Amino acid sequence: MENFTTEFERIRPQLRSYILRITASVADTEDIVQETWLKAERNLDSFQGNASLKTWLFAIASNLAKDHLRLKKRWTEDCTDICRQAALGNRAFFEEAMNIRMTSPQGNFEIKEHIAFCFTCIAKSLPLEQQIALLLKEVYEFKVKEIAVIMDLSEAMAKYYLHTARSKMIEVFDRRCALINKEGICHQCTELNGIFNPKQNAQEELAKIDMARAAESGDKEHLFDLRMQVLQGIDPFESGAAELQLHHLEHNRKVMEGYL
Amino acid sequence: MTKLLMLFAMTIPTFVSAQNAPAATVRKTFSRTTSVSTVIKADPAVIWALLTNAADYKRWNSTVVSIEGDIEPGEKIRLKSTLDPKRTFKLKVKTFEPEKHLVWGDSKGNRSYTLTPNGDGTVAFSMVEKIGGLMFPMYAKYIPPFDASFDRFAADLKQEAEKIGKE
Repeated sequence: MENFTTEFERIRPQLRSYILRITASVADTEDIVQETWLKAERNLDSFQGNASLKTWLFAIASNLAKDHLRLKKRWTEDCTDICRQAALGNRAFFEEAMNIRMTSPQGNFEIKEHIAFCFTCIAKSLPLEQQIALLLKEVYEFKVKEIAVIMDLSEAMAKYYLHTARSKMIEVFDRRCALINKEGICHQCTELNGIFNPKQNAQEELAKIDMARAAESGDKEHLFDLRMQVLQGIDPFESGAAELQLHHLEHNRKVMEGYL
Repeated sequence: MTKLLMLFAMTIPTFVSAQNAPAATVRKTFSRTTSVSTVIKADPAVIWALLTNAADYKRWNSTVVSIEGDIEPGEKIRLKSTLDPKRTFKLKVKTFEPEKHLVWGDSKGNRSYTLTPNGDGTVAFSMVEKIGGLMFPMYAKYIPPFDASFDRFAADLKQEAEKIGKE
């Protein structure tokens, strides 16, 4: 393939965000994406074109991520509670975060960015296969047959992983997320908005988010689709809140690796 | 020839109904066996995945309060059933043949699940639980009937597996 490098660079941003959302580690993401490039270039002759180049590259990256995570424990559904508790006792974390907020061009805090961040953390409580299938379908918009190719399984099992993952995440967010359920126990996005954007009116900010506006409907499936649309619209490396959120993600990963 | 055709015609409904039999219990002096069977239009791998994902049971199965542990060969699991939610059954996975046969149990009895592909995109699912032993007559009256719970289990499994296939 003559334009492999060009094509890879075109797909690279999606690969990076995908692997970041699986690993929650910037360093691991960079390593896995680089290794994906090397492996793909080495094996370019074996690329038959039966699937798209994007599907092929996502398959290579997914396998590398799975190998990397095989021995690591999955996070827990209450990971954001555990990390919040750890952050409250970590003055340096807040000082660093506030410094990023004040000085970085990617230091904005936006509630919708935190919604995407929150999903990355909580989806790590799913079994890895379910997490991968869900991201591929709901965020990167692969078809079921492409997911089956990427994950090297039958379409029936791809559907099984998607169904179980989606059902589980809908249940967890319905129980936890105060944006969609008044009884929800987690308010971290609005809580952090109050810290980083003290002059903002949180209700006005929430009114800009489709998912929050639709909360009254109580349609859990639709609310989950809207949550996934938030993720689709955010590149965690390039957004206006990237540095702040990546700093927070690094904190959460270290806390969870120490906790598990 | 006519007699042969009639005999063949009579055996078909018998075969189909055996694959779709509501729960029934056979009581003997030293044992009690409850069984149920149903035909599920789904991939056997999906049915097997539902039967062996312990943490996911309570989401789709209205007869299970919780299952802790891994449903894998030789592993021990802790099951709470809606039949007696205060009691935790400590069970061992005794047979684990992927997409075919699963058995878990303890010293008093075994629960077995069998999947048999029909070759037409459907799978015959059967579930049998036999409890018994020399002491069985002494505690038999304390064990609640399983039939309604077995019917619900089979119906829940069929509904969930077929729903996944349609997505």
